[in-house]
Amino acid sequence: MRNNQIFLMAIFLVVAQFTFAQTKEEIIANYIENTGGADAWNNLQGLKMTAKLSQGGMEIPIEMLQLKDGRQMTKITFQGKEIKQGVFDGKKLWSHNFMTMEAEESDAEATANFKLDANDFPNPFLDYEKKGYTIELMGKETIQGEETFKLKLVQEPKMVEGQEEESVSYYFFDTENFVPIAMQSEIQSGPAKGVIAETSFSDYQEVEGLYFPFSMSQGEKDKPGQPITFTTIEVNPSFEDGDFAFPEKK
Amino acid sequence: MKKLSFYALWLCMATGLTSYAQETAVVDGSSVFGDLTARQIGPALMSGRVNDLEIHPTNNKIVYLGAGGGGVWKSNDGGATFIPIFDDYIQSIGTVTLDPNDPDKTIYVGTGETWTRNSVSYGNGLYKTTDGGSNWQKIGLENSERIASIVVNPENSNEIYVAAMGALWGDNEERGVFKSTDGGQTWEKVLYVNPRTGCADLLMDPRNPSVLYASMWEFRRTGWSFDSGGENSALYKSIDGGKTWDKIHNGFPSGKLGRMGIAIAKSNPDILYTVIEAEQKKDKGLYRSKDLGASWEQMNNDFEITVRPFYFSRLVVDPRNENVIYKGGLRGSVSKDGGKTFKGLGNMHSDVHDMVFSNMHSDIMFFATDGGVYRSWNGGTTCEIVENLPLSQFYQISVDNATPYNIYGGLQDNGSWYGPSASPGGIQARDWNSLGQGDGFRVLKHNTKNIVYSEMQGAENVWRIDQDNKQVKTIQPLPVEGHDKLRFNWNAPMALSASVPDRIYMGSQYLHKSDDMGASWQIISPDLTTNDPAKQDQDNSGGLSKDNSGAENHTTIFTIAESDLDENIIWVGTDDGNVQVTQDAGKTWTNTVANIPGLPANTWCYHIELSTLEKGTAYAVFDGHTANDKTPYAYKTDDFGKTWKSIITGGVEGVVRNIQVDYENPDLLFLGTELGLFITMDGGAQWYKYTNNMPAVAVHFIALQKQTNDLVLGTHGRGVIIIDDISPLRELTAENMGKKLHFFNAKPTIIDEEASFSGSFGAETQFVGYNETTAAQIKYHLKKRHTFGKMSMLILDAKGDTISELGPGKTKGINIVNWNYSMKQPKVAKGKTFSFGGFTTPTLPAGEYTVRITKGKEVFEHPLVLAYDPKSIISSSDRKSKQEAVMMMYNMIESLAYDVYCVDAYLTYANDKKSRKLISKLDALKQTMVITSGDNYVGSSEPQLREKMTNLFQRVENNPGAPTPNELENLSQIQKRYTATKTALSSLEKKYKLAKRAVVKSKEQYLKK
Repeated sequence: MRNNQIFLMAIFLVVAQFTFAQTKEEIIANYIENTGGADAWNNLQGLKMTAKLSQGGMEIPIEMLQLKDGRQMTKITFQGKEIKQGVFDGKKLWSHNFMTMEAEESDAEATANFKLDANDFPNPFLDYEKKGYTIELMGKETIQGEETFKLKLVQEPKMVEGQEEESVSYYFFDTENFVPIAMQSEIQSGPAKGVIAETSFSDYQEVEGLYFPFSMSQGEKDKPGQPITFTTIEVNPSFEDGDFAFPEKK
Repeated sequence: MKKLSFYALWLCMATGLTSYAQETAVVDGSSVFGDLTARQIGPALMSGRVNDLEIHPTNNKIVYLGAGGGGVWKSNDGGATFIPIFDDYIQSIGTVTLDPNDPDKTIYVGTGETWTRNSVSYGNGLYKTTDGGSNWQKIGLENSERIASIVVNPENSNEIYVAAMGALWGDNEERGVFKSTDGGQTWEKVLYVNPRTGCADLLMDPRNPSVLYASMWEFRRTGWSFDSGGENSALYKSIDGGKTWDKIHNGFPSGKLGRMGIAIAKSNPDILYTVIEAEQKKDKGLYRSKDLGASWEQMNNDFEITVRPFYFSRLVVDPRNENVIYKGGLRGSVSKDGGKTFKGLGNMHSDVHDMVFSNMHSDIMFFATDGGVYRSWNGGTTCEIVENLPLSQFYQISVDNATPYNIYGGLQDNGSWYGPSASPGGIQARDWNSLGQGDGFRVLKHNTKNIVYSEMQGAENVWRIDQDNKQVKTIQPLPVEGHDKLRFNWNAPMALSASVPDRIYMGSQYLHKSDDMGASWQIISPDLTTNDPAKQDQDNSGGLSKDNSGAENHTTIFTIAESDLDENIIWVGTDDGNVQVTQDAGKTWTNTVANIPGLPANTWCYHIELSTLEKGTAYAVFDGHTANDKTPYAYKTDDFGKTWKSIITGGVEGVVRNIQVDYENPDLLFLGTELGLFITMDGGAQWYKYTNNMPAVAVHFIALQKQTNDLVLGTHGRGVIIIDDISPLRELTAENMGKKLHFFNAKPTIIDEEASFSGSFGAETQFVGYNETTAAQIKYHLKKRHTFGKMSMLILDAKGDTISELGPGKTKGINIVNWNYSMKQPKVAKGKTFSFGGFTTPTLPAGEYTVRITKGKEVFEHPLVLAYDPKSIISSSDRKSKQEAVMMMYNMIESLAYDVYCVDAYLTYANDKKSRKLISKLDALKQTMVITSGDNYVGSSEPQLREKMTNLFQRVENNPGAPTPNELENLSQIQKRYTATKTALSSLEKKYKLAKRAVVKSKEQYLKK
């Protein structure tokens, strides 16, 4: 009888072990592997994404360029005119002012924080330990009806109004395919400070051996988000250095 | 054999346990309800009861509050605005405490409100976060019901003391002082008196964490009485970290004691204050000790110091001045001389429960009241309300049939109100209108007249408000010859009739009926309650402090419902557990409660909802919490109460307050409990907890608006919450849920042709409720979330041409995609600046459209109909004229865009050829076509053809109806100018053979969308 109990207990433990067997390292390894493999991701030099953003019926063409060295920009075309937003040339973070259509630098704190993300291309989980990031498996959670692993990612602390604040985000990895289907993080500054922002990812498709979410929806947690679907994603695109440079005032 | 049978038994037990667990486990419905998301609309202007405040020890921007029924909120901006951080958990909060060693990340929340009024809810334990509120863990004291204080040793974060007040409505042993030495993993009860006595306040000497003071309170409520005080109430001190405790009563009054608040002066911790509820009036009041509690001296027993100890026993000493002490109270008061004399605080909502000082300066304070949180810059003399806390505590709500419909309801200590379900710019404070005084409860709109009925506590006043003529008349049933004294509940029932518009019912112990809007009343029942005299002694309620506010009135009718199908069928439920029905308009009554299986005797019948499809069908819900029973009870009868069946099959938590049945699908039911909203689509076989932007707040009342199918929830702590259009739930059958993709049927979308100004002046720090969208909504159910591969959504017109491309929802469950039924903006000529009129997206005409979803290789289609509002004042011929004018201008704008494109191409050619003459001619022409200098603000240049065209285009599109004669004149002027431009361009093209020489796309290529 006693043996039976032990036997059953052992089975129970094995099953329990099996259920919780996924470690955070395995989840990340699976994710990297299933989406193209570490080598391919590490060889990626840049990405160019185009999309047609729909805003109140208006169709706005946008183009995003991200490079391995941290440079990036978003280009929006209105009535044939290009407006750049969130351009980082490695030193300066700048955007066009919508009134004057001239370039203006972001404030020093925003620029300093942006610089901290320069090492996150193509995604922060690649070699996260080398970057000094920590991850923690928080357990399973259902997001958009899908069972996911909830991973907490802690990146370099950011400065918020002169105070150092921990930079935390939560990624929800589909338990079936190990790709993130959602990400949540607390807005750290501005009037919405403390509100949880959520981005969901879908339409994963292959581009030259790498899998990218072609569709994202961004917004506040529990509120309808703004969807964006990429028309194209180009790997290792061509670009001009001047695309990122802060234009001198005329 | 023996071994086998044991094994079988073990398996059986294990399986049994599993299936039991599955049956009772709460199922989160987010995977089913998907995008069907609630919107919270407030109101916040009167806010709601706040139990506790907590301030960050060093960061003056951070303030926390624990609400009586609305959860935990955090301010990151010094109290200007707050955001909720505890929505997934029970919303009745006792206390919020920060770990002094890790105040940014480690927060404790003790649940269960501690100001134990009749309507107080309950908690379910102690919670902890170590990441600033992103993730919470319950760490014990599950049955403590309410937690008054948490103290963390400032020298050792693992050492925590908790004041567990314990159950209010019954005996329980999980109360007293608990201690943890491992950060909350395990707990030891270090001070316990008896099952009626809990800890009401707990302090630690800031100099010595081994020195603790605990105020123990003997108290008990029933549905009909309150008893504060007894032999076991006492003030204790421990000097060894809770190992041993001694009473410190030297100087205390003799006899029984009640609730005591305690405070310690941080600037001189030898000084302690306590406010004592005693047997004798002269002995009550504020006591002070200058010797760490060794002796006490009575200082003051003014009204504000002794008033309602169960509600106001809060003392707070200025951390910078031992002689400045604030006391909670009806108005709150402050002493500047160590408690000898007090003066009242400035104007703020009455019933002050807590106060905190900013760490910057003692003049900067926050106050917690029955009407939200107030900030003060001068120590409470002038106070301003925090405007974004929608903590309103509705007892009841109802809706009317206006467009947009209004929501009516009454609030704890905050009167009665109505406000719209939508308003330009969102639902703001100014959109809410007052409909009564005192505590508000039932508020009902007359079915045909612009008249509203509202009431205050115990039906002391029932108002009939003629809104058109600004006439307010009190109409409550008054005592009449031949009947006993009328007993009205605190929350007295009122009901209208679907059959007789002027009819109104009120319930005392009798059912009162009026067919002339409350001018005359007829009693149409005997006493329908148990009429138990033991439950009618409210005159002696309160314990040491008499408290006969009417809040404990019992053996009364609590809910009334007349059948929509037959006015002779009336149901009545009583607070002492009777469920009575008449089928002959009150001539004969049958008490059906004995037929309800599994319901303890005398359980409060909280609501009866009648079927609108079957005469004999009724639903009744019961709330046992005032008898210390938190089981959910909901029953259905199909035979006028001869037999009842429980419809709670598990999966529901919290006592049940209300039920709503769908008007079309009787298997679709909505249950409001103390922990939120539960929905079943199969008559109760499976319940889902609804969590989409829905906090775990007590839902006291549910209404279903018939025209919109909006489910409107009256919550007791988070205001009104609306789930827009629940009609997709009617189609959520197993069959439809099993399909890969199921489109829900939708009514035609009415094209919104209305406009108004929103002017949100002053709303920067105000709560603003979201409006329902006016967009067309495409709703479908996905069996599985779409993660891999392409999924797209197109809108096709009747010809099959694509007119819109939308981002489809991918979630498992219900997906809702908004489409604003407009075509995309015209392609506009490139200039130096933007032409803002060119961003206009013309509304598409009414008609039939098709939604096409392509998911991988599969295609799913569904019709979508746009229609004009049949009540609109705009004629179809006017719409046609507008449509023609708009499209004519749309094409003209694109045509000009092409012309400017050509001019730019010719300029490139001219520049290549260095033809100065041509450059100059083209430049001159271009300058008349489009703005070529300036900026988008005040540096803007003179508008040219493009700007004139797009401005008129925008004007005509945004104006309702046909273009005005003046607009047409303007159009004609623009057309003339455009013709002249085209002629000039054409002559240049001819003269210089530009079309052949320059590289230009064809117009079709250029405009290719």
